[in-house]
Amino acid sequence: MKTKFLTIIAAASLFLASCAEYDNFDAPELTLSGKVVYQGRALGVRNNGPQLELWQDGYPLKSPIYVYMNQDGSFSAKLFAGQYKLTRRPDAPWLQQATDTIRVNLTANTNLDVPVTPYFSITNETFTKSGNTINTSFVVNKVVQTANVELVRLYLGKSVLTDQVLRDVRIDGNVSSLVFGAPTSLSADIPDNLKTLDFIYARVGVKATVASEYVYSQVQKIALK
Amino acid sequence: MKKIYIAFALLIGLTMNSCKHDDWFYRESKTTITDEQLWNDPNLITSLLANYYNRLPSLHGVFNTGGMTEIDDAMWSGTRDQNGRNDFQYGNDYGRYWDYGLIRDLNLSLENINALGGKLTPAQKNQFIAEMRFIRAFVYFEMVKRMGGVPLVTKQLIYDFSGDPTPLQVPRAKESEVYDFIYKELEEIKADLAPNNGVATRANRYTALALESRAMLYAASIAKYNSLMAAPISTAGGEVGIPAAMAADYYNKSLTASKEVIAGPYALYNTNPDKGANFYDMLNKKPVSEIIFAKDFALGTKVHRFTYDNIIKSMTEDNEASSAISPSLSLVESFNYLDGSRGTLKDKDANGNYIAYTNPADIFANKDGRLFGTVIYPGTTFKNNPVRIQAGVAVYNNGTYQLTTSAVLGGNYTDGQVWTGFDGPKDDAVDVSNTGFYIRKMVSDAPAASTRGTSAVNWWPWFRLGEIYLNAAEAAFELGRPEALGYVNTVRARAGFPANSLSALTNDIIRNERRVELAFEDHRYFDLKRWRIAHLVWDGTETDPNAVVMGLYSYRVVRPGHPDNGKYIYARVRPTRFRRARLFRMANYYSSIDQTVLNNNPKIVRNPFH
Repeated sequence: MKTKFLTIIAAASLFLASCAEYDNFDAPELTLSGKVVYQGRALGVRNNGPQLELWQDGYPLKSPIYVYMNQDGSFSAKLFAGQYKLTRRPDAPWLQQATDTIRVNLTANTNLDVPVTPYFSITNETFTKSGNTINTSFVVNKVVQTANVELVRLYLGKSVLTDQVLRDVRIDGNVSSLVFGAPTSLSADIPDNLKTLDFIYARVGVKATVASEYVYSQVQKIALK
Repeated sequence: MKKIYIAFALLIGLTMNSCKHDDWFYRESKTTITDEQLWNDPNLITSLLANYYNRLPSLHGVFNTGGMTEIDDAMWSGTRDQNGRNDFQYGNDYGRYWDYGLIRDLNLSLENINALGGKLTPAQKNQFIAEMRFIRAFVYFEMVKRMGGVPLVTKQLIYDFSGDPTPLQVPRAKESEVYDFIYKELEEIKADLAPNNGVATRANRYTALALESRAMLYAASIAKYNSLMAAPISTAGGEVGIPAAMAADYYNKSLTASKEVIAGPYALYNTNPDKGANFYDMLNKKPVSEIIFAKDFALGTKVHRFTYDNIIKSMTEDNEASSAISPSLSLVESFNYLDGSRGTLKDKDANGNYIAYTNPADIFANKDGRLFGTVIYPGTTFKNNPVRIQAGVAVYNNGTYQLTTSAVLGGNYTDGQVWTGFDGPKDDAVDVSNTGFYIRKMVSDAPAASTRGTSAVNWWPWFRLGEIYLNAAEAAFELGRPEALGYVNTVRARAGFPANSLSALTNDIIRNERRVELAFEDHRYFDLKRWRIAHLVWDGTETDPNAVVMGLYSYRVVRPGHPDNGKYIYARVRPTRFRRARLFRMANYYSSIDQTVLNNNPKIVRNPFH
């Protein structure tokens, strides 16, 4: 009797223990990280703004995996091992390149720089503080020859998340007098609510008429004290 | 032996029975209705139509409290779990609408009534067909204004099991083709709808014209203003974007339809000499001469809870949630003064000092009557009772006012008078206004309307004459016709402005007039979209009073011995619960198409920016 009892318990525990393997997936373990680059330099973007898209073939239904970017153009995604296609979405400050996908064979943690073609790029940016004014000098380069500049702007903000949406000061540059490839300067007075801070952050952004997002310089931290 | 007899008899009995009464098996079912019965019985068809009318789509309409708090006219002050409405960006799929289930139902009905409805009189049949085609045009209009050109499916799509689904894969029509389809349908059916004239809850001749007026205006302004953008939003195949050359024709069609409605049997509601109360009555009472087409409600059968959701805090008749919609300061300020000056409230003088007012409502004096009819502000009344809106007291101390609020609503200050009113406003509070304003428009004043047991039965206006006047004004103004001015002045006169209050029009005047006249009636989101200024007005800037829902808090002055003692001052505030400025991106001009639709039909072109 006792052996029978033990057998039943043993069988039951075996039965219970054996399920776990089948109906649960492990969480994705591999990391795909990198940044969007143009000519080797990371592009600054709006926080929570432009995205990349990952697709995977071999399943009956397709749905994209959105990859969001940080302020400095870096991104990372947790994924399963497999073959992915990475596309550069519209709704970004660079060309869509919809048919030009990047194949990613993910077998280990991978670092991938995604080359993009921004409509404009910002180089040689310098930010200086003189008295209560932030002066900046930068060069706007035309990358896509058909693109036109809609806005050139200087932003000041309280935090590293400074962009078109999150900012305290925004100064518009004169688009008609903008010369591509030559230094442009802008300056902004520091408003009263920022004067007392130890640091503020500054950034320039350029928007093409055909784009919905700005391309930015990297955020510059400026010590006030 | 005996057994054989019995078996034999049974066998005979069994065979005899079954010959004659075949029809016994073919009796009419008492539980199902056949297609022949349905399509030949006007009563059954009418009740089917009721189902279709009930499914007419809207985005922020039909008393959609939540939707109304997702634009710049208001913020959400209800339960905290829905505070996402104050802390969101319009997603890529915001406003997505792809309802081919309803289109299929309508196509099926149209085919069946034609094939099977032989016993209907031709007049009956034509009227039913016209009503269904009206509903179909309405649904296509809702789709085109959110998604751009959509597949035009006008008959049932039936799979033939051949293994080849391509005949079912209809590509997207051009955006202009969908608008042309709507126009053509409405022109064809408007005569057949005449038997419904005088009925506000079914499509009649003027309902078709009203839809035509609105749809053609949308098409025209997209044609004009999309082309004026620095980079027009369009696809190569024209699924999105209408050529600028088509604008004038669409404006003309809209104006013609509007004029026909204005010449019809409707009149602007104008019976109450108190213009503010008159504007409120116009939507609260029914039937009124102004409403062209409405979704009606009736006690005991079909009610809505807009009043329960939004009644002012101190006048709730039920427990739990209330006061969800808090109108914004920018909406209040868009109501101009009756002398024609801009509606910016004078809360501070040129030196930045508070201006004190004797009565709480004095700062709103001499404003457009529609302000009273739309918004409940400090010092006004609701259901003939004074509202108790007061944020706190302002104690004068060392040369400045210290603004203090009570911990509980309705508390008294140390001087024995009101500290914070029962109606708030209270920052970061639930079920009480966070902006200092409540909504009055469409909040019913009927007894027990704010209880869940009874609920409200005021109707939802799909089309009303006030809108048609403004449609006509906009179309005429764009066409450079002189009559535009008269249409706007007529609408303004009903709101309490003197006759011929404007002598010249601008785009801004017309646009502002639409905002104040049609607030909370599911127009603003689509208006800003078709004028292509949504991304400029809702630019996501945290310091922009248009993108941020601001509030205005009133304080009673405590400054003994000073003439301002006991008067009221007002402070502009940004409510804590409003977390993120409205951000409308280029991608929101046309919503993204669902990935399953793209998976199923490779002929569908994606929308720009998606």
